[in-house]
Amino acid sequence: MKCRNFSWKTPILLLLVVLSMSGCMGIGSNNGKQVATGKNGQQVTVKQDAFKGKFYLTINHNLYVLNGNNTSTDLVKTGNVYDPAVSPDGKWIAFIEKSKQYSDLDLISTSGGAVKTLRTGNGRFKYDGPFLKNTYIWYGQPAWSADGSTLLFLSDFQKEDWYADTTDAPMLDMQVYSVPFSNPAAKPVAVAYATFGDGGNRDVGYRPGHPNQIIYTHYAYDAKTETQQDIQLYMEDPTTIGQNPYKYYPGMPGGGFDPSIAITTPDKENIEPAFSPNGNAIAYVQRNANLTAMTLNIMPAPPDSITLTPNDTKTQALALQTYQTQSTQLLSEMYIEQPVWSPDGTQLAYIQYTGGTFDLWIANLTQNAKTGVYSVKGTPTQITTGGVDGESRPVWTN
Amino acid sequence: MSPSGNLVDQQTVKQPSFPFNGPNAIPQTPGVPQTPGVPHTPDPFVQGQRGRYGAGGPGQGGPFPGGPQSMPGGPGPQNMPGGPRRLDGPLGPGMNGGPSSFPQGFNSFNQNNSGNAFPPPAMGMVLNPPQTPGTFQPGRPQGPGSFGGPSRMGASERKHDGPPGKDPNGKRNKKKRRVPIWARVIIGFLLFFLILGGTVYAYYQVNYASSVSHIIGQKVQLAKGEEDPNANLTGGILSGPRINILLLGSDTDQKFEGNHYIAQTDIVVTIDPASHTVGMLSIPRDFYIPVPGYGMHKLDEAYGLGGVDLSRRTIEQDFGIPINYYAWIGLDGFIKVINEVGGVDVDVIHPIDDDNYPDDTGANANDPYALKRLNIPPGPQHLDGPTALEYVRSRHADLVGDFGRSARQQEVLSALKPKLANPDIFNHLPNIAKDLQGYLKTDMELSDVLKLMNFARSLDINKINKWILGPPYSHSGTSPTGASVVIPDCAQILPLITQVLQLGNSAACNVGSSGSIAPASTALPLAYTMNYASAPAANCTNLANMSTLSSDELSGPSVDASNLLGVQGLLDLMLMGVFESPNVF
Repeated sequence: MKCRNFSWKTPILLLLVVLSMSGCMGIGSNNGKQVATGKNGQQVTVKQDAFKGKFYLTINHNLYVLNGNNTSTDLVKTGNVYDPAVSPDGKWIAFIEKSKQYSDLDLISTSGGAVKTLRTGNGRFKYDGPFLKNTYIWYGQPAWSADGSTLLFLSDFQKEDWYADTTDAPMLDMQVYSVPFSNPAAKPVAVAYATFGDGGNRDVGYRPGHPNQIIYTHYAYDAKTETQQDIQLYMEDPTTIGQNPYKYYPGMPGGGFDPSIAITTPDKENIEPAFSPNGNAIAYVQRNANLTAMTLNIMPAPPDSITLTPNDTKTQALALQTYQTQSTQLLSEMYIEQPVWSPDGTQLAYIQYTGGTFDLWIANLTQNAKTGVYSVKGTPTQITTGGVDGESRPVWTN
Repeated sequence: MSPSGNLVDQQTVKQPSFPFNGPNAIPQTPGVPQTPGVPHTPDPFVQGQRGRYGAGGPGQGGPFPGGPQSMPGGPGPQNMPGGPRRLDGPLGPGMNGGPSSFPQGFNSFNQNNSGNAFPPPAMGMVLNPPQTPGTFQPGRPQGPGSFGGPSRMGASERKHDGPPGKDPNGKRNKKKRRVPIWARVIIGFLLFFLILGGTVYAYYQVNYASSVSHIIGQKVQLAKGEEDPNANLTGGILSGPRINILLLGSDTDQKFEGNHYIAQTDIVVTIDPASHTVGMLSIPRDFYIPVPGYGMHKLDEAYGLGGVDLSRRTIEQDFGIPINYYAWIGLDGFIKVINEVGGVDVDVIHPIDDDNYPDDTGANANDPYALKRLNIPPGPQHLDGPTALEYVRSRHADLVGDFGRSARQQEVLSALKPKLANPDIFNHLPNIAKDLQGYLKTDMELSDVLKLMNFARSLDINKINKWILGPPYSHSGTSPTGASVVIPDCAQILPLITQVLQLGNSAACNVGSSGSIAPASTALPLAYTMNYASAPAANCTNLANMSTLSSDELSGPSVDASNLLGVQGLLDLMLMGVFESPNVF
């Protein structure tokens, strides 16, 4: 038979077929390595050559370390992990394991191994007269001090202690507490009080280089209407409440007395603050007015002195100035959340809602030498596909 | 052999699967060892087989050799006189499959079969089995002896096909009258729609009918002497005056059938089609009232004692509220539907911390008093079915109570509705119908549900009123057995229900063991009367924002598309029960 149909087109066609097949099979591609299976059965892949260092985050609430050197692994696969926090020396991960009625504050080595429970929230239901109560406790969002000696976390463990100052109901809102890492079973010290009824505090973290300053999101209803949400960023000296027993207390909207100071105004909902590695800038997320989009922003840190006199009206006005005058919007998306700085402060990672899943992205930052204003350089890079847990904080380490 | 010749041979090899070659085919010519139903090998027989393509070839007679007229008995093998018999005839040069026979090659040959060179298959052809690529379509009108028309096949075809107008037995076929094209078009259309309709009907029967029939038309038994409250609604659910629908909220199918437990939600939805208004009267499940035939009980126990029938009768007799229809909603159905669509992605606008959430679904379905603690973090996230239910249902995690809950419900609706409007939902509709089965029951018919939901869609949110018969309409108390109950305060309740349900003199408050009926009055306490129009301004802003978002996202046409089979209407009814609000659109 005469092979007259064989021509130069044939090898080209074969080459195209091979290329398309290899693309489908992920052969020779840098587009991502599958590390997990998503909530709806989809593959979760990581673009491992697009970042340096390691990300600790949760996928389907299993704890993963995504390594820029192409060795991503899963550390805890219990399906109930939230909010990993890596110790400053890089040896430990504090995280939350959530059960039906309570959660535990746990610890695992960054190299894996056995999980140790630092504090358990387990309890029981019990009747107090005609009222059914319980001794279960939530723990959440651990954060390390810069020297690794102290662990901050959220908890409702004092929920039965504040009836007199609330409305004859348990204080379920999460407040900020601390324990020494050397003795995590010690009685927690109150660090930042909540306002009754709208969710308490979230997203707590220390300010790098400033051991006596923390930042967090504070949820409350406004004092005037008691229906409008005030969601603001606050800073505070984490030692003030502990050093002044019986002086401060949580309370109703507009009430209470604590050493916190707002650094954003209540007219916009600002959440999830993250200090830059040098402690001079704060990345945060803002919801727009009609709840249809979120923005990723950076503002300079307010003056260091604001936490010294937090209840002074002049200081309170001063604390808002950098937000009001120097805040810069970087990105806007339908859902964007959980900003985290790269260890060298030149990049910002965040979780963005992309094609029906929450995925990790990285934006390169550039800072104006004169004004200090940050902006995004180039186009952000999508690191994961298939979905990570949007409600769980990631960590970025060397 | 040329490439085209090979291809032709290959496609002819597949022809034995053609039923015309069945066991009852006209006897084979000696020397042509065709075995019915057995594929042929590409050997010398191939050329003979090719003769079968001339289904209406010479000897078939009429102008539609391969069409219905030439196969008066239908497409069966017995009625295909063409084919193997033509093996008898000498093969013309064109039948060798060489380039001269098919000068345009295999592809053009193929196009001839399905392309414009042939008219659409006649009616009888629809029933023929699928043709393999390159096979001929019998029934071409090119004329006797034609394969694909002279221009394509050449004269050699006709040579092979033998003398026209005769079958192998030498009998001349009757000449058939040609059916006009317009008639064939009409017949084709009719057949198309017949098949389409049949397919849809079969699809509905297989995938939906059983599920839907277990949801709708679940009639209640009327008590002896009781009049049918819907006797006047001859024109449908919204054809008459005000109607009342009893929404019963519970969780599992076990609570609907057999051993009843309790109805955790008793809400009377009152609809006035004339004024286009809707109200919802929520009756505390712990109301301590006479249950017909059982003495004093909590209202939720009426459901346990006698199901929907007794719940309905209790409300009718104790408060004089006529119940036209009911809908029973199991919360697990909501969980299943959310899971079926892959969950919902929402921005949790503030943390949800609830120490007393009713843990009454799933494994705890039989324990209505089980409690669960909730801790849902704020921020954008994916919610699975159980978590989505917790998010929309929690009452204790909002200082602003039902308004905050409504905002959360609208948020989940905004995330859910686009999923239900996505064309992909068609793949899930059968499962959604099955998910609803056992978790949604009503005595309404499907048409009633659709009318009701269309009506609800057109409602002005500011005209939806909600009343809860908590304090000052009732107060806490203790039953003779020591149980914690809620005691209705008739002096407060009667004016309310008289006015908002327009009961007139039929309003009653038969709540004591004495059975006394307090007189109605016209004073109407305003406490616990919640009208969305008078909601706190700040929260209304949130609600309005949510509603805007929702309506924007719901405006896609496929919302209606997914309602083709009524599933959307049933879903809306379920959501109305789960959210305890008609504002589900």
